[in-house]
Amino acid sequence: MEPDVSMETCRIIRIAVLPTGGEIPADILRHYISMLSQFNTVDLSSISSFYVEHQKSPFAHQPWDSGSLLFKFVIGGESASAWEDFQSNRKILAVVGICHCPSCPDLGEVANDFAKECTDYKSSLVHRCFAFSPSDAQLEAGGNKENDLVLFPPSDRRSQELHMQTMLQDLAASLLMEFEKYVLRAESVGTILKTPLDSQAGFGSEEMIKAKKKRLGRAQKTIGDYCLLAASPLDANAHYTTGIELARLTGDVFWHAGALEGSACALLIDREDNRDPVIEEEVKYRYYNVIQLYRRSSVSDSAQRASTVRFELEAALKLARYLCRHELAKEVVELLMGAADCAKSLIDANDRLILFIEVARLFGTLGYQRKAAFFSRQVAQLYLQQDNTCASISAMKVLSMTAKAYHIESKGSSYKSSACSNESGSSHAEGGKLHPSSIVSLYESQWSTLQMVVLREILLSSVRAGDPLAAWSAAARLLRSYYPLITPVGQSGLASSLSNSAERLPSGIRCADSALPFIRLHSFPVHPSQADIIKRNPNNEGWWMGSAPSGPFIYTPFSKGSPNDSTKHEITWIVGEPIDVLVELANPCGFDLIVDSIYLSVQSGNFDPFPVSVNLPPNSAKVISLSGVPTKVGPVIIPGCTVHCFGVITEHLFKEVDNILHGAAQGLVLSDPFRCCGSGKLKTVSVPNISVVPPLPLLVSHVVGGDGAAVLYEGEIHNIRISIGNAGSVPVEQAHISLSGKNQDSVLSIADEALMSALPLKPGAQVTLPVTLKAWKLSLVDVDPNSGKNAFTSSARMSKDGSSPLLVFHYAGPSTYIASTEISGSSSSIPPGRRLIVPLHVCVQQGLRFVKARLLSMDIPARISENLPAPNKILEGSSNKEIPTTPTHQTDNSLMKIDPYKGSWGLRLLELELSNPTDVAFEVNVYVHLDKPKKPCNTVDTDEDLCCSRTRIDRDYSSRVLIPLEHFKLPVIDDSFFSKDHKVAGDDGSSILKQSKAELTASINNLISKIKVRWQSGRNSSGELNIKDAFQSALQSSVMDILLPDPLTFGFRLKSRVEEESSSKARLTKGAVFAHEMTGMEALIRNNTREMITMTLSITCRDIAGDNCIEGKKSTVLWSGVLSGVAIEVPPLQEITHSFSLYFLVPGEYTLLGAAVIDNATDILRARAHTISPDEPIFCRGSPFGVQVLGTA
Amino acid sequence: MATTACFIIVSRNDIPIYEAEVGSAVKKEDAAHQHQFILHAALDIVQDLAWTTSAMFLKATDRFNDLVVSVYVTAGHILNILMLLHDSRNEDGIKSFFQEVHELYIKILLNPLYLPGSRITSSHFDTKVRALARKYL
Repeated sequence: MEPDVSMETCRIIRIAVLPTGGEIPADILRHYISMLSQFNTVDLSSISSFYVEHQKSPFAHQPWDSGSLLFKFVIGGESASAWEDFQSNRKILAVVGICHCPSCPDLGEVANDFAKECTDYKSSLVHRCFAFSPSDAQLEAGGNKENDLVLFPPSDRRSQELHMQTMLQDLAASLLMEFEKYVLRAESVGTILKTPLDSQAGFGSEEMIKAKKKRLGRAQKTIGDYCLLAASPLDANAHYTTGIELARLTGDVFWHAGALEGSACALLIDREDNRDPVIEEEVKYRYYNVIQLYRRSSVSDSAQRASTVRFELEAALKLARYLCRHELAKEVVELLMGAADCAKSLIDANDRLILFIEVARLFGTLGYQRKAAFFSRQVAQLYLQQDNTCASISAMKVLSMTAKAYHIESKGSSYKSSACSNESGSSHAEGGKLHPSSIVSLYESQWSTLQMVVLREILLSSVRAGDPLAAWSAAARLLRSYYPLITPVGQSGLASSLSNSAERLPSGIRCADSALPFIRLHSFPVHPSQADIIKRNPNNEGWWMGSAPSGPFIYTPFSKGSPNDSTKHEITWIVGEPIDVLVELANPCGFDLIVDSIYLSVQSGNFDPFPVSVNLPPNSAKVISLSGVPTKVGPVIIPGCTVHCFGVITEHLFKEVDNILHGAAQGLVLSDPFRCCGSGKLKTVSVPNISVVPPLPLLVSHVVGGDGAAVLYEGEIHNIRISIGNAGSVPVEQAHISLSGKNQDSVLSIADEALMSALPLKPGAQVTLPVTLKAWKLSLVDVDPNSGKNAFTSSARMSKDGSSPLLVFHYAGPSTYIASTEISGSSSSIPPGRRLIVPLHVCVQQGLRFVKARLLSMDIPARISENLPAPNKILEGSSNKEIPTTPTHQTDNSLMKIDPYKGSWGLRLLELELSNPTDVAFEVNVYVHLDKPKKPCNTVDTDEDLCCSRTRIDRDYSSRVLIPLEHFKLPVIDDSFFSKDHKVAGDDGSSILKQSKAELTASINNLISKIKVRWQSGRNSSGELNIKDAFQSALQSSVMDILLPDPLTFGFRLKSRVEEESSSKARLTKGAVFAHEMTGMEALIRNNTREMITMTLSITCRDIAGDNCIEGKKSTVLWSGVLSGVAIEVPPLQEITHSFSLYFLVPGEYTLLGAAVIDNATDILRARAHTISPDEPIFCRGSPFGVQVLGTA
Repeated sequence: MATTACFIIVSRNDIPIYEAEVGSAVKKEDAAHQHQFILHAALDIVQDLAWTTSAMFLKATDRFNDLVVSVYVTAGHILNILMLLHDSRNEDGIKSFFQEVHELYIKILLNPLYLPGSRITSSHFDTKVRALARKYL
């Protein structure tokens, strides 16, 4: 059988093309042949100039204007067919030699060789030898030789082609003339035409007449063939008709069929191939007849069935090709299936091969891809039966053509289809949920048995054909897609065939089909530095505001609606800063998988991945981290990983694995490679939008002296030094420090000016930032009061819980990097800022425990003496509101001052009881902050803290600390304190109450804020007790007594005597009172208010037993002057002196007391005296003064 | 007499959702592949043919060597095809076989847990089909 038969076959002239005259390089030969083969059609009109009519042409109806001769160049020639008498088109009618002159110097020899070669082609009528690129000498020599050599002088391709066309037209003309000669001779002389069918059957004498008729018929048929070859269908038709008649008469069935076939062809040529349904019907009818006749001829002679059946098949194929249109599919299918059924009766394997190839081709033309694939596979099997490399290569090629129909295409060959499947995949991923049926359609390739068989055959054939890459690809596809259906042994076999193939491949070769492992995206772990990238708004200076959740709500409805959140989550990478991506690998097969290297494959080209190598044990999955560095600004697209495994580099796309997993979830794909490796189910991770921004500064921080948590006692004040360095490659130009987290108020100060002054912080530069912390108070819930030892562990836990405050640095590089970001086309023209969060790890431990606070009052009587500091002196010195009882010329730092003039009557002390449950000793200091008014004399001492002496509290002990409250007294009682009370006194009681309470609270707070209780423990821990609440409750009731001075101050002093005494006595008498001596004294009464006070003064003296010793029976003191009922008026802020004398009869201790009843008291005084009713007399009493009376003896 | 028969249900996406060798002939691994190959190839013709006729049972739509493909097209959403490759000429038996299997298949479809178009894994179905094959083929 012959390949590629069609209706046209009958009219095609075969020309053998023989390379002659030495070796021709393959590519040059190919070039010559390609030049030659483009002229396979020669129009009759173009050859008329070469055609010479020697005698009257037998082709009377030759269409010179429209007809054409068709050539078929048989490269290398072919041996003569036994059937060439039967079908003239099988003859080689001309021989063309091709000679490459540079490889054969002697052209004469070439001509001889060619002539010799031509003798093998007995049927050939015309010989030509085309000699290309001859040298000048050869041109000269060849020009005058009389042979078939045609020289093609070297020139450009176009003119060579023109030359070639001309030569072929000449050849065609010669052929035409030869045909004429042959036809004329055959008509006149007749020829003996035989086929192999006739060989044995001799012509008996009784059949001589029949034989002669047969011979005539056959001659007519052959003449018809020549007419067809000469492109004269009308002549051919005439001869065929005669031939058919004769054959029918003689019962020459076989030749009858041949003639009929020729007449159908003639009919078609005559009608110029137009698809006239009438002609089509005619042709169909004739051809069915032809097929019938051939079948009949073989039936009549079953021994020859094998040889005639090929003509029947050829006829069927010709008809099928002619009809091959979709509308006539049924008919064509019938023809082809009939032909395929005959395959078994073909003896020659080659014939069967050709049959299947043709059937497959026709099915393919018809659009029946699966049928075509089926027959292609049959072809491949036939090829594989032949045991040679060429056949194996053919088998491999044919099988890979079937791959598409079986859905096992190599990705490299089906780039387009995979691209469109990618699209569907992505839309599917975005849609999230898809209709189940369309999910099903994603996994169309379910004929797994067939697919495996075909892949295995591809593998086998490519191994035999010696194509390691194809073998690798087939084995990879087989292993990846069908591992669940392959036994572990088979899997190992495939693995070894993969490595065997790889051995024969050059290293670093890539293959479009990926093998193992399966790779899916696990997650994008967010690097802390990436999490803290904050978009900067060029218009907003404080871009850091609002970037951190500011309110008490974690979720705010306003931030949700912003356009940034509507897109997929985005990741920003920074040029030059390494990143990590976690992927999960799975090896579901039964062998150890060694991945030589795996790295992220990035199409955008702005990423520098770091390869790693992995070893996966059988049936295992592993999560690995793939890292890399972004190199350029712009978006990064990570479609998958590049894997170097089994010696070949392949691309593994995440999307494909996602599809597999999705299919597995639906039960559509054989198996989930991750699940069968024991890896858990994972939500499909979509690759986020990743963009790379230009380098940003990167601050790193560490606490000087170690990053561990500072263990502090409650209230302890601690300095932390935080060192901040710029690890990036861009200077920090903007920085802002803020606080967040819990216990923010425990950060007392941040020396942010240290950072600000260091800006711009160059890359590599460091700044140290001191931060002062005050340990917060543990809440009562966390502290078990009984066991202080547990406090440490509980507080440690607390600090882990995140009770530590966070220091938040917002910083940014220069905003001039704009130019480079324009590449990315992003709308924000300023590189983003960043945030660094430094947790201030503080572990709060319970420290000094406050037990209670009490207000105590204390009386210490003053001594009477001569040289009291005169209050009027003070008044002279300073006209302002100086506390008269405080000596101004001495301001010692001791809080504890017993004022002898004032006495210490009604001294009020705040007692704090503190216990120490800790392991260390504490020392407590009380500081009182005094904001004294300006004093011209000694400004140095203003605004200073007075402190008491230290109190040490040992571990597990309690102690009390006394705080005197004297310093807070106001100098003057005036209505300013109560002014508001007075103004609104008449209005509303409740509002007065409220206001006075508020006043009170304010004054208490003012007072409390001045008192600080600090402690110190060990060498370097110190702090402050936070006991304001306790203070407040202790002082609440008696704040007025503390703050306001008494309206009247009473003082006593000895009247200065005349200095008549001797100096020796003067020492004794100084400040001393002697018995039996009249002692002059003065009572000083000072009005502390701003109003005149009228009062009745009385002075008493008591002895040590407390009895009044001036009045009564047993009075031991005599007096002169008025001591009771003295009516005096004291002007505001003035002092008056009342003199009197006492005469002590008995030495001992006495106490002088002044008292007064104020007449017409103002409201202020009443309020101060806590009177209940307005008519109640206001009684004022001074502090007692002690008098020691010495005996005179 | 040993018969060869290979039965396949093809869903509308051309995916085989059920396949069974139901012949009584001794099974050969190679032959099973060959049967599936033939049935797969026959799909082309069946899909063309199904639209030209209203009949559900299409006998002998395709053949290769001695094996014949008979087809029963169900009234699925687009196309559901029951295909049988056989060498027996018992046309009535094949038709009855198809009808009964069709009923079974409908029962499978009625299962709310069955995703139309996915593989039929019910062993009950398998047993029934094989029983039917023994009965009719």
